[in-house]
Amino acid sequence: MTGREAADRRRGLVYIAPTVLALGVLTVYPGIWVLWLSLQRRIPIFDVSRFAGFENYAFLAGDARFWSAGKTTAVFTLGSVALEVALGVAVAVAINTQRRGRRLALSLLLLAWAMPAVVAAKLFEWLYHPSAGLVNVLLGRHSINWLGDPVVALPAVIFADVWRTMPFVAVLCYARLLAIPADVYEAAQVDGAGRFATLTRITLPLLGRILLLATLFRTLDALRAFDIMFVLTGGGPAGTTETLTVYAYRALFQTLQLGFGSAVSVVVFVLVMAVAWAYLRLLRAGAVTA
Amino acid sequence: MSAALRRARPVLALALVLALGGCGTGQDRGPVTLVFKYARILGNADPLPELLRTFEAAHPGVRVKGEALPWTSDDQHQFYIINLEGRSPGFDLMMLDCIWVPEFARAGWLLDLTPHLQPGELAPFFPSAVASATYGERVWALPWNFNVGLLYYRTDLLAKYGLRPPETYEEMIDQVRRIRAGERDPRLDGYVWQGKQYEGLVVNVLEAFWANGARVLGEDGAIFPEPERAADALRFLRSLIESGVSPAWTTAADEELSRRAFGDGHAIFLRNWPYAMDLFEGKDSAVRGKVAFAALPGRARGEPGAGSTGGAHLGVSRRSRHPDLALALARHLTSEAAQRAIALGAALSPTRQSLYRDPELMRGHPAMPRLQALALAGRPRPVTPYYLLLSSTLQPEFSAAIAGVKPAAHAVADGGARLGYFLEAVR
Repeated sequence: MTGREAADRRRGLVYIAPTVLALGVLTVYPGIWVLWLSLQRRIPIFDVSRFAGFENYAFLAGDARFWSAGKTTAVFTLGSVALEVALGVAVAVAINTQRRGRRLALSLLLLAWAMPAVVAAKLFEWLYHPSAGLVNVLLGRHSINWLGDPVVALPAVIFADVWRTMPFVAVLCYARLLAIPADVYEAAQVDGAGRFATLTRITLPLLGRILLLATLFRTLDALRAFDIMFVLTGGGPAGTTETLTVYAYRALFQTLQLGFGSAVSVVVFVLVMAVAWAYLRLLRAGAVTA
Repeated sequence: MSAALRRARPVLALALVLALGGCGTGQDRGPVTLVFKYARILGNADPLPELLRTFEAAHPGVRVKGEALPWTSDDQHQFYIINLEGRSPGFDLMMLDCIWVPEFARAGWLLDLTPHLQPGELAPFFPSAVASATYGERVWALPWNFNVGLLYYRTDLLAKYGLRPPETYEEMIDQVRRIRAGERDPRLDGYVWQGKQYEGLVVNVLEAFWANGARVLGEDGAIFPEPERAADALRFLRSLIESGVSPAWTTAADEELSRRAFGDGHAIFLRNWPYAMDLFEGKDSAVRGKVAFAALPGRARGEPGAGSTGGAHLGVSRRSRHPDLALALARHLTSEAAQRAIALGAALSPTRQSLYRDPELMRGHPAMPRLQALALAGRPRPVTPYYLLLSSTLQPEFSAAIAGVKPAAHAVADGGARLGYFLEAVR
C-alpha cells in the first residue's frame, strides 16, 4: 500500500465515521440494549430487576396469547398486502387507461394515503358503527357486528388498512406504467394481442420489480402494524385483532414489564429482518436476470 | 454532595438576605410557577381556568399553569409513567385516575400527604374515595371527583307496563321480554352495557362478579378465590347476548356507544356512569324526562348489586419544588366551593358528601341524594399497585368469554394462570 492509498483510506474512514456513529448510537446500541433487557425480568417502577436467562422466551413459547398475536399478525400481513397489491395494480391500470381526470383521480387516491392511520381508524370506527354506521345502513338494517364479532373484526380491520394504504401501491405502479413506451403496446397491437394478453404479457411483467419493492415496503409496515387496530378495537374482541406489536405495547408501555415486553419486541424484530432479507434476495435475483 | 448543598441552602439564603439587608421582603422568593396536569373537563363550561385564577388571586406571586393531558386514560397513564420514571420534574400537581394511586405510591412518585393532613380533614369525603387514595395506610392523594356504576332505565316504558326498577338481573330479563313483546319495535334493545375489550369491560365484569359473590383478588392476594362463581358470572353475561336481552354489538360497546343507543331511545336499560344523566336531560335529548337511575341489579340468590366506583384524585409529585403550594392548590380544587363549581359547570360528581344535599346543586340535579346513597354502596376495583397489569392481562380473557369463543371456566383458569405468572415477579 502506498502512502497515498493509506491517506485515502484514512480520509474515507473519517468521512464514514459520522454515519457509523449515528447508526451505532441510534440503532445498534438500543438494539443490543433491548436484547439484553429481554433476558431479564425487569419492572423498574417496582424495583424488579434480575437476570432471567431465556425465561421470557420460554414463557412466550407456551403463551397462547403470544401465538394468537403471531397468527393475527400473519393473517393481517398476508391479507392486507395481497389485497393492496391486487387492488393497487387494478387502480393503476384503470387510471392509466383513463383519458380524462387522471390528476383528480390521483389526488383523491393520495388523500387516503395522506391521512394519518389514527384518523383513518377513527373514520372507520364511525363507518362500522353498529346502528348509525354508513356500512350497516347501506346493507339495509342487516346490523353486522363489525368490530365486536371475533370472526368479522380482523377482516374489518384489514379492509380499513387496505383502504388507507392501497394508494401507495397504486401510485408506484402508475409511475411505472407511465414509463412504458407507447410503441411497445403498438407493436403488441400489430401482432394481434388482445387486451388480456397485453395485460398479462406486457403490463404485469414490466410492473414486476416495482411491485416487489412495493410489496417489501408494505409487508414490513404490515408486520409492524399498530395504530389501526389499537384505535379501532384495542386488540379485541377476544384478542382476535391483537398483533405482536400491540401485545408488545401492552407489556412495555401499559404495564412497564420491560424485560417481557422486550422479548416480544425481539421476536418482531427477528421476524421483520427475516422477511426483509428474503425480499432483498428476491430483488437481487431479479436484478441479475433483468 | 447534593444533600450537603441542600443542607447549606438555608444558610446561603440567610446570608443573601442579610447581605441585601432589607431590600424589601417580598422578593426573597420571586415568582413561582406551579404546573397542574389534568384532563380537559367536558361539559357546558370548563370551570377550571376560573378556579385556577382564584387560587392565584389568593396566593400573590404564584402562577398556575394548567396543562392538558392526552385524551384517553391509557395515554395519560403512559405520559405519567414515562415522565415520572424518567425523573422529569415537569409538574407539581397531577390529576390521577384512582386506579393508579397505589401503583404511583409504590413507585415512590407521590408525596405522602399523611403528615400534612389535619385530623378529620378527609371525613367529609366518601369513604371509598378515601380508600382508593390510600395505600399502605398512608394517604397519597385528595379525592377530586367521584364515579359509580348505575343502572339507567326508561321510566316511561316501565310505567307503561306497571313495572318497578328491577332488583335482580333475572327480574330485569323478565321485564325486557315483557316490554319488547308489547312494544314490537325491532330496534328496541333490552340491556346495553360495555363489553368491548378495554378497561370498561373489566368494570362491567367486576360488577357481575360482585353480584355473584366472586372476586378477582382475595384479601390474602389469592387470584380468583371463587373460580366457579366467577365463571358463572361470565357465563351469565354471555347468556345476556345469546338470548338477545343485550344486543350482539355489546362486544364492541364502550361507554359512549352504549350511552348513544340508550340516549336515542333504542334501549330500555343501560349500565353507565353518572355523567350520562346530564346528557339524557339535555335540550335535544330523545329521552329527556324519561330516564331515571337505580342501583345495579343483584343476582337472585346472590348478593345485592353494587356499582364499581371510580373517579379522579389529585396527587402531589414527590419531585415538586413547591410541595406546600401544590398541596394548597389540591386543597383549593377539592374544596366545597370548587367541587360545587365543577359539578355545576361540568357533569362530574363531587367527592364531598355534603354537596349531595346542596340546594344549589339539587335545583339542577334533583336526584343527587339518590346518587349519594348509590355511591356509598359502591365498591372499588381491586386496590393494588398492579391493577393495570391485572386489567390488561384479564381483558382478552373476559372478552373471549363474552364473545363466546372460550368457555367461561377456561377464561378464568387461563387468566388466573397468566396473572399468577406476572404477579409472582413483582410481589
